[in-house]
Amino acid sequence: MMLWYKAWRESRDRFLLSAVTIAALCVGFVVFHRQGAEISDRPLTYLEYIWRIVYKGYLRELFVLLALLLGIGGLLRERDHGTAGFTLALPVSRPHLVLVRAATGLLEIAVLSLLPALVIPALSPLVGQFYPWSQSIQFAILWTAGGAFIFVIGFVASNVFGGEYTAPIAAFLGLLLYSVIVDLPFLEHYPLDIHDMMSGVGMPYFKSSVATLAGPLPWAELAIIFLIVISLVALAGRIAEHQDF
Amino acid sequence: MLWYKAWRESRTRFAIIASALAGFCLFAVLLHHQIQSGVTNPIRSLRGNSYSEHIDRLIYSGTAKGMFALLTIFLGLGGLLREKRHRTASFTLALPVSRLRILVTQMAVGIVELAILSLLPALLIPSSSLLVHQYYPLAEALHFSILWFCCGSGIFAAAFLLSVLLGGEYTAPVACYVALMLEVLISNWPSLRPYRLNLMWTMGEFGTMHWNPEHNLLLAGPLPWPRLLTIMAIALCMLALAARITQKQDY
Repeated sequence: MMLWYKAWRESRDRFLLSAVTIAALCVGFVVFHRQGAEISDRPLTYLEYIWRIVYKGYLRELFVLLALLLGIGGLLRERDHGTAGFTLALPVSRPHLVLVRAATGLLEIAVLSLLPALVIPALSPLVGQFYPWSQSIQFAILWTAGGAFIFVIGFVASNVFGGEYTAPIAAFLGLLLYSVIVDLPFLEHYPLDIHDMMSGVGMPYFKSSVATLAGPLPWAELAIIFLIVISLVALAGRIAEHQDF
Repeated sequence: MLWYKAWRESRTRFAIIASALAGFCLFAVLLHHQIQSGVTNPIRSLRGNSYSEHIDRLIYSGTAKGMFALLTIFLGLGGLLREKRHRTASFTLALPVSRLRILVTQMAVGIVELAILSLLPALLIPSSSLLVHQYYPLAEALHFSILWFCCGSGIFAAAFLLSVLLGGEYTAPVACYVALMLEVLISNWPSLRPYRLNLMWTMGEFGTMHWNPEHNLLLAGPLPWPRLLTIMAIALCMLALAARITQKQDY
């Protein structure tokens, strides 16, 4: 239990800052929806507006980088701070330490993904609008999977790269490289783009004319993403086991 | 010695950012034909544009601009609070120099690194364009370097100030990223749009580019000096505030 508390304390500030920002932005987007809809050059329905500004645009981009930064930390950082010795003296294995930190981070990602799903449908009636709970919950599932994948990029980078800010920079560049590679012509026909999967753009389960999720969620792809995430967390644990502190 | 210390602390970040930016610029120029013709087409929206438009979309108002803005946040993270976390603050503070001088040196080294990063595309794009039998005017590239430097200094200063204020692990870059996104969002709000407060728009000359009479070069208008000077003045105020806060902090 103490390890969970340690992982929580280390990421608490970042998580709370991210959560407050996401929640506040959702409130702002709903309350000022009339003004916000004017961003587009054509009139938008409420569903289209929410999708464009939250699930495709600003909020998703914000969420992606927050997820990446939530993944940073771990034993290499502790080595820089001179506290790795204390952590390693605890009667637990290194993979256990890595696993707890990953699980804490993934739970935080799930909470961040759920925030728009709670705030938007709950607040919409207050401004005379309606946003279906089913839509927002489905997007929350997609964001949890996508966010977990992006989180694990930061997580692995922070287990590989020492140096104060090397890991986040490397993680960011890794994400950029991934985003470029999945847009390559021979790959763009496969559902590999996590950004498109999160927003639904070009996906068979998304109806762009009404900006809603219309088909069943891609459970097989989501399961594969979670398998990749688990494998990468295991890899990070293996790397930590072989590192010299 | 202080300069060397500040350089040693930031050189890895600087080297990675410079390599990434240079690598991306060379990728955009040397593989422009493949990107534009769709043979190997990494960026979907770039098929069949002119070379000048291709550079503008990919570098000056596209991916490279976003990369520069986001990575500048990491360049700006400094101050003594992070040294406190490393338990080295007392050694630095024991040096026979004022806190102000330590901070000003860090800021100056960061600003010089920022200037070099801003200049990188201007050095690489016009010269490497010749290798692929294309032309990109140096004056145009330098125009964007000035824009990137001025707007980048605003981001740098915000990151520096937040790293002086926020002590939590990686809280400062998260806060700075959130602040940057909020700035973009608020300045895009319909009632604020005419004032063009969006830093990213200024960096990429969004909506102000025009074609030359031959319609083969996308050109920017004159530099928006009042806006750039305002950004620089705000950056200077943020750096001064960071120095003032550091002087009053207890280590």
